[in-house]
Amino acid sequence: MLFVVTAVVVVALVFDFTNGFHDSANAMAGPIATGALRPRTAVVLAAVLNVVGACLSTEVAKTISNGFFDERLVSPSIILAGLVGAIVWNLLTWLLGLPSSSSHALFGGLIGAVVVGAGFGSVHGWVVVSKVLLPALVAPLVAGLAAALATRLTYRVLGRTPKTEAAAGFRYGQAFTASLVALAHGTSDGQKTMGVITLVLVTAGLQQADTGPQWWVVIAAGLAIGLGTYSGGWRIMRTMGRGIVEIETPQGAASGAATTATILASSHLGFGLSTTHVSTGAILGSGVGREGAEVRWGVARRMVYAWLLTLPAAGLVGGLAALLADLGLAGVIVLLVLLAVACLVIFVLSRRHRVDRDNVTDSAEVMVFAGATGRALRPTDDTHTAPDHTRSGV
Amino acid sequence: MPHVDWTALLVVALVSVVASVVFAGLLAGGIRALVAARAATASGAPTTGALSLGYGLLALAALTVLYGLYLIVPQLH
Repeated sequence: MLFVVTAVVVVALVFDFTNGFHDSANAMAGPIATGALRPRTAVVLAAVLNVVGACLSTEVAKTISNGFFDERLVSPSIILAGLVGAIVWNLLTWLLGLPSSSSHALFGGLIGAVVVGAGFGSVHGWVVVSKVLLPALVAPLVAGLAAALATRLTYRVLGRTPKTEAAAGFRYGQAFTASLVALAHGTSDGQKTMGVITLVLVTAGLQQADTGPQWWVVIAAGLAIGLGTYSGGWRIMRTMGRGIVEIETPQGAASGAATTATILASSHLGFGLSTTHVSTGAILGSGVGREGAEVRWGVARRMVYAWLLTLPAAGLVGGLAALLADLGLAGVIVLLVLLAVACLVIFVLSRRHRVDRDNVTDSAEVMVFAGATGRALRPTDDTHTAPDHTRSGV
Repeated sequence: MPHVDWTALLVVALVSVVASVVFAGLLAGGIRALVAARAATASGAPTTGALSLGYGLLALAALTVLYGLYLIVPQLH
């Protein structure tokens, strides 16, 4: 039992790490793409603000299941299986540079694991529709509309003010709104992992029910999401910063404002919107709002597919993982080994078309097939000979 | 079938749009006024009006941000 609990805690921290690097781009893709912040500065800032955000709010989400299923069904091995589903899906979408929701991955994985453990009847379908699918549809639309109108107004107000002279001011504006997004992200997603770990400790009888997270859980989860954010998730950063639409600083400031406003308004009124959906919707909307900006709808469509797939796909992996985890200790060990292998394979695949902080804004494509690598884009590129420790491949 | 709070959803949408537009407008207005003030300095024209307008608008924009910060820290309310 203790082994399983330890495994869940470690795997939960791994999930928190993937959550950090998956969502780093939500805040920082814009300012990095426009040059308002240098890549390293941006991720350090985002990491610090994520940790601060995670520690700010001590009000842990009382239920990680949000009422999708009966929490009495939850056992450490089901949580483990759910986390495995979430991690694998997060890594796969990262490999493809697709900004998908980490929260959906977590919910999907848990739901899949619960279905396998306790049958379809144990999941409340309507709650899933009203709390996940509906917000997922509404979030990008609202944020997109807000960003489009804010962008339009920004350019209208600027009038014939020379763009180059206004750019300095907007760089501050963009960096500022991006920082707020990072902070808001920490308060919501940092809390999620703390909630998961606390739930496991409670179900294992190591902690009293109805008590807050232990201090080491707060610190470990804060550090995991901060480290993940610091490592950047450059592949997703590239898609969001360059892939969807070319971002100018005034437009970036407007889309950051829209992202922040939408997240704050919704969480204040009790709707848990996905930061990822809000942020991509806002970037897309800011492209629609600026005249002459070319929105790449093909990329947007692929993202929507990834969003729709996230819940069932993570659920599938979570369900399969639950089959293994149900077999007892041996099954759990096999599951952990498989997870490690999956992470390794995806990591090795990602090295083939590496995206890091040095080449993140060079191109709009994440997966460059047919042998054209970053080398073709930058003749002086020394990526392939540089020692690994100087670069983060994540 | 649980109840979907459509009113709250609508309020979220409205608040998001209005807050974004207000912030963007203040920021753009402030920056425009400051750029104009700098141009006026260069040509020797009086700048006090444009300067105070610019900083005033930016201060208002900063206030909206502070309010947002206040909202996400539960200890403050």
